[in-house]
Amino acid sequence: MDPAIGAVQRTSWDDVLDWSGSVRAVAVMRMAMGLITLLHLRPFLRDAAHGVSYTDHFWHPFIPWLPELSDRAWSALLWIGAAAAVLTTIGLWTRLATLTMFTVVAGNLLLSTTHFRHNRAFLVIVLGGLALLPTGRVLSIDAWRRRRTSGSARSDVVALWPLGLLRVQVCLVYLASGFSKLIDPDWVGGLVLWDRVVRYRHVLEPTPIPGWAVDLLVERPLYYAIGPAAVLTELFIGIGLLVHRTRLLAVWVAVVFHLLIEVTASIEIFSLAAIAALAIWVTPSTRDRVVRAGGDGASSAAVIMLVRAGDWFGRFRVERGGPAEPALLVVDRDGTMSTGGAAVGLVLSRFPLTFAAAAPMRFLTRRRASMTEEPT
Amino acid sequence: MFGRIGRVEQRPCWRRRVVTGFIVAVLAIQVGFALNGYRDPHKFFAFQPFNESSTWRADIVRVTWDGERLPVEGGWAGYDWNELVDTAALQHPWRTRHAYMGVGATIDFLDQALDWIAANTPDDLDTRFLEATVTSFENTRGPTVTVVRSAERSLS
Repeated sequence: MDPAIGAVQRTSWDDVLDWSGSVRAVAVMRMAMGLITLLHLRPFLRDAAHGVSYTDHFWHPFIPWLPELSDRAWSALLWIGAAAAVLTTIGLWTRLATLTMFTVVAGNLLLSTTHFRHNRAFLVIVLGGLALLPTGRVLSIDAWRRRRTSGSARSDVVALWPLGLLRVQVCLVYLASGFSKLIDPDWVGGLVLWDRVVRYRHVLEPTPIPGWAVDLLVERPLYYAIGPAAVLTELFIGIGLLVHRTRLLAVWVAVVFHLLIEVTASIEIFSLAAIAALAIWVTPSTRDRVVRAGGDGASSAAVIMLVRAGDWFGRFRVERGGPAEPALLVVDRDGTMSTGGAAVGLVLSRFPLTFAAAAPMRFLTRRRASMTEEPT
Repeated sequence: MFGRIGRVEQRPCWRRRVVTGFIVAVLAIQVGFALNGYRDPHKFFAFQPFNESSTWRADIVRVTWDGERLPVEGGWAGYDWNELVDTAALQHPWRTRHAYMGVGATIDFLDQALDWIAANTPDDLDTRFLEATVTSFENTRGPTVTVVRSAERSLS
């Protein structure tokens, strides 16, 4: 077939199906999700260890025709799920482990309506996406064993349609939540948030928050602004993550949003799972930026060690520079080179642990620099 | 949203169709649940958390075969309400509580819990049915009084 004809016939849907890239960042999420799933299963495992089954209390089947699990089968299911979570984190038999973990968490959720929580449903969605991706190709015992036995590593570049699906599903979660609040006058008018804060004033009072600030926090007029701001934040995250230009800002807003939720209303594993799931928005390519660490041997070795320790998503190719070169030189994807504070800012804004603090600093620094460069 | 970062082999046509069908089905189900949340008091899988700041309390009584109305607070026939319901949303109903799932979901759960307790307390030979009188404030508005009752137990 004439390749030109083939090119004309390609649709954007073909691009979705043929989208491919590295699963490195998703593998980091996989490791986190294994641990988060263990935290999620912990109260159920505690009950099972004490011989308490879900049928010993009030329960109501989600699906009436689904068979009731015996106490022993339920307990076994949970322990299998916990083992799968550990295997998922370390990356041993990864594909089977992620699939098992998803099945156990989803199965346990669907056993009884009393098990339902929105944060658990969110976890099921993320684990479902994880189960569809071959994340064991990198950062796993599976990958390490393969390198030892066959001497070669499998490429971490895979078909990423499950990641695309997961991205849309996660955005739908934010949009569903935000839209339902947008059309609710009590929510968008701040009544729901205000009433909640007033009810939990007794929790605020013993904290280091000064008395005048607590008084201010329970003022009704404040919530005419906070209510819509909270709703718009959720909607912005849902839309901003989908749009390439606003994605970085949306990820940052999401981190702050989930940290605030954790501080004000700790909801099981929700904040942890939602922040870990932000890894799905990392550009699926690795080593496409270069870090050159120059200067004397000791300082360049230290820089290389720090970059390798912080670069969980494998964004940087690290090279040792000569003694006359700057201590840190970063070559960005587009070939732009930076040194000094700008280079440090770029590197730190791409490390997951420093992203939340470094990204706004870098934004402000670059903005100031571009303003001073403008002709007067 | 998507970009061609690397290369993987072209998938056969049938596989592309299966993947397309799977993606469409998953998204249709998720959107379906999201829409169903506007009808379902529990909002299962609809992702509408923190939807209300409502409160509720309930006076729950056992109505015996003699017609007596005995509060369940304090326990009966070796049973304890909080242990039987276990779920945090329904514990200590005799105090005013935050209906963190929403008033509709809380009352629905309470109704189901009364049925479950009526059917799973074999040592209680006196109770004919359980009844809860729920007083709720939906986002500070109210009160609204709702009465829910368990299925009638058989005299054994």
